[in-house]
Amino acid sequence: MAAPIYLDYAASTPVDQRVAERMFECRVSAYANPSSNHVVGRQARSNIDTAAAQLAALFNVEPETLIWTSGATESDNLGIAGGARYRKNRGRHLVTMTTEHKAVTDVFSMLEKQGFEVTWLDPDASGHLAPDVFAAALREDTQLASIMYVNNETGVVQDVAALGSICRDKDVLFHVDAAQAVGKIAIDLESLPIDLMSLTGHKFYGPKGIGALYIADRSGCHVEPLLFGGGQQRRIRPGTLPSDLIAGLGLAADIAAARIDDDLAHLAEMRAVLWDGLRSVDGILVNGDLDAGFPGILNVSVEGIEGESLLLSLEPLCVATGSACNSKSQEPSYVLRALGRSDMLAQSSIRFSVGRQTSREEVLYAARRYREAVAHLRKIAPGEAR
Amino acid sequence: VSADPYSAMVRELFANPAHSGDLPDATVARIDDQGVSVQLAATHEGGVINSLRFRVWGCPHLIAACEAFCAAAEGRPAGELSDFHAVEIMRTLSVPVEKTGRILVLEDAVQSLGRSVCGGAVPQ
Repeated sequence: MAAPIYLDYAASTPVDQRVAERMFECRVSAYANPSSNHVVGRQARSNIDTAAAQLAALFNVEPETLIWTSGATESDNLGIAGGARYRKNRGRHLVTMTTEHKAVTDVFSMLEKQGFEVTWLDPDASGHLAPDVFAAALREDTQLASIMYVNNETGVVQDVAALGSICRDKDVLFHVDAAQAVGKIAIDLESLPIDLMSLTGHKFYGPKGIGALYIADRSGCHVEPLLFGGGQQRRIRPGTLPSDLIAGLGLAADIAAARIDDDLAHLAEMRAVLWDGLRSVDGILVNGDLDAGFPGILNVSVEGIEGESLLLSLEPLCVATGSACNSKSQEPSYVLRALGRSDMLAQSSIRFSVGRQTSREEVLYAARRYREAVAHLRKIAPGEAR
Repeated sequence: VSADPYSAMVRELFANPAHSGDLPDATVARIDDQGVSVQLAATHEGGVINSLRFRVWGCPHLIAACEAFCAAAEGRPAGELSDFHAVEIMRTLSVPVEKTGRILVLEDAVQSLGRSVCGGAVPQ
């Protein structure tokens, strides 16, 4: 098989070489439990402090506002379930969107079973949530809302500034799943009205298995812990901290901060070249908002093509699909269905996501491969198929 | 790379569907079910299948199964079409059990074709 061409940066990114070296260094020289008071333990703790400062600087916040977690899924769980439970005596109404990641939607579904009431908002056809629609969903007893920053399937960017302002006006905790945004677009939490924000390291060239939850330092903004068993991290998230992973995440944040504008420009160029190569395909549709979306993601569907066969035909491209056959869910992408796509179009979707290492040659090849695959599968399909 | 969902045979048949397409003056059967479409076209003479072609809208396993079926059935007695069962082709191609419904659409199409061929040809 030909060498794989990786266009799945929204799923995960390769660890930056400097990050890998930093983690290795921590593993061999600062391996102690960071809660220990001896010299090696203090070194591990110092590495964590450095990383917290680096990550905090990426959002312009204080390091003390960050809670380390195992990744975005845990951060989402802690932020949403922990926030809702912390304020349950004030009210039990929550708000989110149908197009959120499963790490969010499944938490809300769990909370529904525990007596919370959830309003699920649909996006418009472009994937956006209008602020007035959001505002209308908030009630007197609403305590928490969660809206993702950048959609992981479509790249749609929500207006979290406007949505957060609405929450502040109504004293509603505002959680943002920023797994696809952190390290990729500039985020200034000094000015953005976000109370809780989830992130993970491996989406921006850091390690897997480490993430963080930002908790704003303001009255009424707190979470109940989900885990118990130690005094670490003010008992909000106890457990021995993986100082090597944290150090890697911190350095990844530092690197991202230094090159975020250059990265964005590169992503936009790569996506433009890719789209130029795809747009002539008959029946192709962009899922999301090409003009205002995150430039690292291009999600397309095409009429008359079966998604799983398309994915196999695209090898050696490493891309993601909304095809039911290729996922464990056995259902077409619920995100694309919420955008109004039919089951057939949703399951034919391909998400291309480009990154730092993506080259012009790779995206040109990807576009050619896609055109050839569609032509091949249409040749096989029966007349009037789908 | 482990856990490849496709066997080597599926990959080969999917990449080279030599029997995809149409046949002039053929008997045709088409089934749309389970979210897939299978169309088979056959020419026959003297109770023997001369040529088979298929068209499919479906997953790689189904495309491979159609190719495997067409390649195997050419030159065989038309009467055997009615006896076709998908289980053997699923075993040969290592089709995962969750794909059974789709492969059964091929079985339905083959049996429909058999009825048409043996019960009176319906020209395309």
